[in-house]
Amino acid sequence: MLMTLLVPLLAAPQGPQFGEPVRLRGGDDFVKVEAPGYACPAWHDVDNDGKKDLLVGQFKDGKIAIHKNLGGGKLAARQWLMAEGEIAEVPGVW
Amino acid sequence: MELNGDGHLDILSGSYSRHEAEMAGLFQVLHGSKDGWKKPVALNGSDGQPLILPMGSGEGDIIDRICTRPFAVDLDGDGKLDIVSGNFRGTFAWFRGEGGGKFAPVATWLEVDGDKLSVGMHGDPFFVDYDKDGDFDLFSGSAEGGVFWFQNVGSKTAPKWKKGVTLLEAAGHGAHGADAIQFGDAHCKVPSADTRVWVDDVDGDGKLDLLVGDQVRLMHAAKGVDEKDARSKYAAWSKQQQEFFKKPQPEDEAGQKAWQTEYEALDKAKEAFLIEEATGFVWLLRGK
Repeated sequence: MLMTLLVPLLAAPQGPQFGEPVRLRGGDDFVKVEAPGYACPAWHDVDNDGKKDLLVGQFKDGKIAIHKNLGGGKLAARQWLMAEGEIAEVPGVW
Repeated sequence: MELNGDGHLDILSGSYSRHEAEMAGLFQVLHGSKDGWKKPVALNGSDGQPLILPMGSGEGDIIDRICTRPFAVDLDGDGKLDIVSGNFRGTFAWFRGEGGGKFAPVATWLEVDGDKLSVGMHGDPFFVDYDKDGDFDLFSGSAEGGVFWFQNVGSKTAPKWKKGVTLLEAAGHGAHGADAIQFGDAHCKVPSADTRVWVDDVDGDGKLDLLVGDQVRLMHAAKGVDEKDARSKYAAWSKQQQEFFKKPQPEDEAGQKAWQTEYEALDKAKEAFLIEEATGFVWLLRGK
């Protein structure tokens, strides 16, 4: 009887659980976007090396930073995502 | 994500608003190709017109369709990618996919118990089957910050959302005033406001982690000014600013121009002792 009552309590869904926030670094510095900020991250393998990379959209000029995944928990310093030979700028972001 | 089925990774972005016509945050796609990404183009619906979120008829309802943040996902399990987009209001519009990168031009709103599902302001959808029950659950950031989870208790073909669970408390936009100033960024221990989320196994331990982007205003003492001095000068400057705003704003054009010039000069004067830096960081919260 006790177990019947306890099991549902112990198994009650509490939602996803996560650890303390850690600020990511890219190269030697924190991953940081240009003023006025508004970092929008994505995690995808954009260079087809089998490791997912960090992409960060930002408000200024609608540019997108790529921090390549170097492995071992390390990310490279920022490179801008390019489109047709130029730094990609998403219109209307601002 | 692969949006149009050509085998190349595409990048889907929202936007604040177009400038050339009535305000609307168009979706933009950078199509992938064998030579890299193409320049962004607006994403059209199957009617050939730009996909635009629905809008209420009330004053101020423009916020229904600006500041978009789309996510492509097959939300109803029909084998076709849909788009769900957040907006300024904090609600979520669902454009059904028609296959081959085409989308129905009219969207419906995600709901919880008959009301629009909302995160306050700045809806920021990310979908993943977190609870591994075969359907997609919704994660979102918000303008006030924080991270929220809406469990899908429906099915793979008919999503149904539970009320949101707060996974990370919203930090808000912080306190103002000289006493509230914290210099540098060492005090940044948690994501600030305007959070944007992504969910994946970032550290490769087999558990889903959270990536959170934010917006934060950092303060730095100007070169040659120590922090104590910067704080007291800022307090004095704030009083000056309050006095300035007490003055009635002129209605004539010349008066408004002079008012603007005076305001800009006052704002510039602050830079002699205090440098403000608006930026955003990316945070990792490891799954437990």
